[in-house]
Amino acid sequence: MMLLRLITWPYVRRHRLRTLLTTAGIVLGVAVFVGMRTANESVLLAFRQTIDRIAGKAELQVAAGEGGLPEDVLERVQAMPEVRAAVPVIEAAVGTNLASEGNVLVLAVDMTGDRSLRDYDLESGDEAVIDDPLVFLAQPDSLIVTREFAARNGLAIGSTVPMRTMEGEKRFTVRGIMKSGGLTQAFGGNLAVMDVYAAQMVFGRGRTFDRVDLALSEGVGLERGRLAIGARLGPGYQVEPPASRGRQIDSVLRVYSFTADMNSAFALFIGMFIIYNAFSIAVTERRREIGILRALGASRARIRALFLAESGIAGLAGSLAGLALGVLLSKGLALYISGLIAGVYGIAERTTEIATEPWLMAAGLLMGVATSLAAGWIPARNAARVDPIQALQKGRYQTLSAGENRVRRAAALALGGASLALLLFAKGWTVLFYAGYICAALALLLVSPTVSLWLTKALRPPLRRLRPVEGALAADSLIQAPRRTSATVTALMLSLSLVIAMGGVARAVYDSIMGWTRTTLNPDLFVTATQNLTERTFRFPESLGDQLEEVEGVEEIQRVRTHRIVYEGSPIMLVAVEAKSMGDRVRRPPVEGPGDMYERAARGEGVILSDNFARLRGLHAGGSIELDTPSGPRRVAVLGLVVDWTDQTGVVLIDRASYVRWWRDDTVNVFRVYVKNGARPQEVRQRIVERFAGAHRLFVLTNREVAAWIAGLTDQWMSLAYAQIAIAVFVAILGIVNTLTVSIIDRRRELGVLQAVGGTRGQVRRTVWMEALAIGTVGLALGLGVGAVTLNYVLEMSQRDVTGLALPYTFPWGTAALLVPLILASAFVAALWPAESAVRGSLVEALEYE
Amino acid sequence: MTRRIRVLSVMLPLALGLVQPRAAAAQSAREVMEESQKRGQAASQHYEGLLQVVDARGKISDKRWIFDRLGSHGRSRAVLTFMEPPEVRGVALLVVNHPDRASDQWMWTPAIQRERRIALQDRSTRFFGTDFSFEDLEERDTEQYDFRAIADEAIDGAACWKIEAKPRTGKSSQYTLSYVWVRKDNYAFQLVENYARGALARRLRYSRIENVQGIWAGRVLEMTDVRRNSRTVLTLDKLQYNLPMKEERFTLQALRRQ
Repeated sequence: MMLLRLITWPYVRRHRLRTLLTTAGIVLGVAVFVGMRTANESVLLAFRQTIDRIAGKAELQVAAGEGGLPEDVLERVQAMPEVRAAVPVIEAAVGTNLASEGNVLVLAVDMTGDRSLRDYDLESGDEAVIDDPLVFLAQPDSLIVTREFAARNGLAIGSTVPMRTMEGEKRFTVRGIMKSGGLTQAFGGNLAVMDVYAAQMVFGRGRTFDRVDLALSEGVGLERGRLAIGARLGPGYQVEPPASRGRQIDSVLRVYSFTADMNSAFALFIGMFIIYNAFSIAVTERRREIGILRALGASRARIRALFLAESGIAGLAGSLAGLALGVLLSKGLALYISGLIAGVYGIAERTTEIATEPWLMAAGLLMGVATSLAAGWIPARNAARVDPIQALQKGRYQTLSAGENRVRRAAALALGGASLALLLFAKGWTVLFYAGYICAALALLLVSPTVSLWLTKALRPPLRRLRPVEGALAADSLIQAPRRTSATVTALMLSLSLVIAMGGVARAVYDSIMGWTRTTLNPDLFVTATQNLTERTFRFPESLGDQLEEVEGVEEIQRVRTHRIVYEGSPIMLVAVEAKSMGDRVRRPPVEGPGDMYERAARGEGVILSDNFARLRGLHAGGSIELDTPSGPRRVAVLGLVVDWTDQTGVVLIDRASYVRWWRDDTVNVFRVYVKNGARPQEVRQRIVERFAGAHRLFVLTNREVAAWIAGLTDQWMSLAYAQIAIAVFVAILGIVNTLTVSIIDRRRELGVLQAVGGTRGQVRRTVWMEALAIGTVGLALGLGVGAVTLNYVLEMSQRDVTGLALPYTFPWGTAALLVPLILASAFVAALWPAESAVRGSLVEALEYE
Repeated sequence: MTRRIRVLSVMLPLALGLVQPRAAAAQSAREVMEESQKRGQAASQHYEGLLQVVDARGKISDKRWIFDRLGSHGRSRAVLTFMEPPEVRGVALLVVNHPDRASDQWMWTPAIQRERRIALQDRSTRFFGTDFSFEDLEERDTEQYDFRAIADEAIDGAACWKIEAKPRTGKSSQYTLSYVWVRKDNYAFQLVENYARGALARRLRYSRIENVQGIWAGRVLEMTDVRRNSRTVLTLDKLQYNLPMKEERFTLQALRRQ
């Protein structure tokens, strides 16, 4: 403690800015990790809380995916001896035109019996909830809102609320106001209750419910009840506690969470290199102090402990700041993620509360401190090895960089060889594949100092040609201190490799999605009930398709019904479409399967799977899968595999006739419209809008608009990753500043001599600038190379274990080309301050070393 | 032969009986109930009801309905159609009573052209914001109850038998026990108290008991929800018995055609 106060604290005070920059690495790393995780958790928490609060006393919920339950299922459930009460539910997130309210979650229930499961007013009698229950049921525009919602919008009994329904915007009448309580907090308080039978009409549900909530009879245990009810209903129905819906959303968000975690890990890893570098600087700067301490009797262990304590404290301070920043960031991120999952998955949710999980905070703190300690370990060891005699001799320049390490090179070679061998010969084995990846990563880290040195040596001649004195000095500085340089270069390399990998993934995703849009999702127009293709709140009646076919210029209509079902415990997307028509229109060869697979699907002989779904489950054309349908389990042949981007969780394409028969659902989400040859899609669109305006809630989108919407969604998906990468790059640039600073300290004598023998300040500046540009160039070269390797592994991992999507390897040349000026400019900017510091140093002091 | 008590909507099964010996007393209670049912028996019933709900704060809301019932002896069908206020006009409740099980009930909502089944589990809930429950609209089978004569008591100046009615095992009811006061002079119901889990839940008081076409019936029924401290008063206007009615009127199809 005494040493910390006497030695460390004055140093920190003298180098406030640098201390700040050093801890910034940890701050940002921890902030990214905690921010993303907290945002994810908050989104999930909001979803789970909404589920819990809406579930009320319901112990189990019966559903049939998103297909809805026929009304007779309710009566069957109500008649079961295990069931005390069962009530129908429809849930829909509906847009309002109320300023800054956004979506409202409409919970549609049968108020005649729903109060046996849900508390609509925790404080007083029923009359406070609904002004007149009979009027509430008699009028389909009846709505109960929460007290908070009413207060925010100045609503009272009898006020009207605009909501977007299947029949266009309608005004609903507030006939009840709920007092504050558990239920009213669902969906962030933006909850409205309406009659379930009115909701069937308003949301186009036909004669189905979304689910049935139930309470078990006295003495019936949860598991016993679940199994008994499931057995009585048969396959095709999910009987689960309400909380299981939360697990399903976890599963849906798995891909997203994986990407976020990977980026956070990268950010922290890069932060580790920055800390390592910063502590190396500190050891260099303070070797005189270390020498004095050693001369006064401080043991090596004590010196090591001092530096480790410093790195621990820096890690702790950085982590605490990172936690605060992360929590601050998480609110905005949570809103962003909410919007993203609503767009990509069609799952509406409203996050109002930030879930600051203690374990997450502890993990963030631990990671920050551990990273800092790990990063500080080598500098601390080096500090302990400082020779007191050498350290106290003026002018004895001590190079901390020990030069190349043969053992390290040999290890890198061995690991590289092993990773190559594993990649070529054991790719099929998951464990070996990941072992190969780890080998490759370690090999690259071990070899980066050597390669960095080679590249710097290779740069010396061109630098000399450019500026004989400054170029040579800059190159020599880097060559003489490979370890100092390599940490920054490695940090830069890692961040750039992440950029390249993500850029490659983004390019591949874009190309694949756009290819799919062109060749498969190729109707001229899309008639939807919502403004996008993923939201499934509203559905059309099948008969609307017949009316659409009568519109002048329409050649063919495909009726599409998408709904999420559960396959072997995981949610997947079922897409029901007229298979024959689809087969006639698709211009892309299948991944697997015969040319007539669509005709065979239309004959009800089987289904077609998306290749990612098949890959993750080891399915192939010619095999079969069992689908649980409301009319019983159906084992169906897998006729073929296709590329389909409808949903990341995987897609089962089924002919509409089979779907309607098995799922007893003839509603439609989207009508795909093909116009006649010679007809102009814009004109046909206008005719559709004019014909159905006011009668139906519908949106007509052109193919180009849908493609743009999908591209926008992809951008949105990638943009968070890009933001994280930007932070990683920023952290790496901080590293350049630090490296240059230490470089200048190391070379004070050299730079002083240069000035003493007539070197100008401009020459000194240019030396530092060239050094920075050299670091940037080497980092770029390594980053692009390592990025090319990382991209291969990321694509393989994604295909193998995350999404199942087979994305083509395409090196993102565009991104790489953009990075070159960006990094060189950043390096130059990073060098400005150290360069000024070099020319403004005292010449006498610098020469005193001689 | 099984004899049943038919109780129109707002009436609960009652029993009367004298005491001692024990078996004879129970039989006497049953005889009272059977006699009461016999005297109230009719091929059909029609009335226009004025329903006034008085909440705990004294706020009164009025509704009017037309009630038609065809049949008796637990095989009856009834349709209750709301007429006022205008927002609820046309909303109807179809009740199909069965001799051996709980009734089936459907509500018809004209604004959405949909019927909804009132589930058995929901029978204990309030009937559209009134103090009656859906169960209170059912007919009951005397065979589903055990009766016991409790005492002779005068209610509102009328001498009555006080009879305890307990649902037998297997009978689904929200009430665990009822006390019924039956007038000795005309076998009409004077008062019913319904208990749930040992506590008084609802009290139904009959007044303006008049003889209409030879049948003694209360013209004003006041149901009090003791726990909520609110009451609903139902006044039976234009009460008539044995009017000709068509069976087709008492079906879901007929409701849909309304």
